[in-house]
Amino acid sequence: MSNFWNKLLYHEGRGWWDLPRTQWQDPNPQMEGPFGHGIAPIKRTWEIITAANYHHGTPWFYVLIGAILSIITIVEVWAFTWETLGGLLIPLMLVLSLAKFILVVGFFMHLKFDRKYYAWIFTACMIIGIGIFVALLLLLEYGNQTQQ
Amino acid sequence: MAAATGTYEIKNEHGEVINTSTGLSNKKLLMWSFLGSDVMFFGSFIATYLVYRNRSLVGPYPADILDIPITSVSTFVLLMSSLAMVLALSYIQQGRQKMGTFWIFSVVVLGAIFLLFQVYEFNHFGQVGLTPRTNLFGTTFFILTGLHGAHVTLGVLWLIFLGFGSIKGSLRADNAIDLEIAGLYWHFVDIVWIVIFTVIYLISARDVGPPG
Repeated sequence: MSNFWNKLLYHEGRGWWDLPRTQWQDPNPQMEGPFGHGIAPIKRTWEIITAANYHHGTPWFYVLIGAILSIITIVEVWAFTWETLGGLLIPLMLVLSLAKFILVVGFFMHLKFDRKYYAWIFTACMIIGIGIFVALLLLLEYGNQTQQ
Repeated sequence: MAAATGTYEIKNEHGEVINTSTGLSNKKLLMWSFLGSDVMFFGSFIATYLVYRNRSLVGPYPADILDIPITSVSTFVLLMSSLAMVLALSYIQQGRQKMGTFWIFSVVVLGAIFLLFQVYEFNHFGQVGLTPRTNLFGTTFFILTGLHGAHVTLGVLWLIFLGFGSIKGSLRADNAIDLEIAGLYWHFVDIVWIVIFTVIYLISARDVGPPG
């Protein structure tokens, strides 16, 4: 009998009259970071621009991704002309290239929004492709050492 | 459910009825499998380029002829074509036919501009003495970028076909998956170029002859 009254009057140990009326009154642990409530408007904006029909982004979201890709390309070309980078050039180029790769595959090719099976197929083939890539490089290195 | 064949019909998120035995769109599954095989295909050629990097015994070497500003522009054009592609798909899926058609033909134009840059570059290299037979750089460079150019050409032809289909009304929101798989192909061509641009043009652009 007491269980019935508890269920009727309380929700997860709190009375219905105690429940927060809005999400802002709820002590949500996600908002208790160093940015407090400041992160929420950014999160909401992100949800608005990504929440279009068919679980895809809105046109403006894709324009945003296109702008980021353009900026990364400009940074790449700018870094290329920067002589002082020296040995850091190749790692930097690879990181920037990887960022562009992930943006195009994730958002333009919709892998972020689509069924996970497609991502698995592509990732599996990427792993095999990288394996072939590394094997070829190692074979040549081994061949050079044996020639010397 | 067709028990005899093990297939059943499902409706995808666009309302299109598809026959499937996996719960996935067969067309999209085929395209992703093809792209997976293409990853290995291009991976081998990129690895071959790196294997023979700095091993040309005679010039011209990459440092002598690669033009980074021009290639940066063509890279930007291809990136923007990917943006146009995703906008075309978005509008076709929403049933906004005219906007979708406009963006499909934008992809065609941008793809054609990219190909013109490549024709110019190949022609210029030929004039300064770099052909596929000149040295190892020429062989690996022309095979890799030429195969990529062939992929772009195929994509442009495919999109011209789809663009006219959109004008005639045979490409609509309910069969937008036909454009989606063409888009997957186009974006893949774009990511291959992202890697080629980094590996050949940015990382190798200062390469000269073999050390020593």
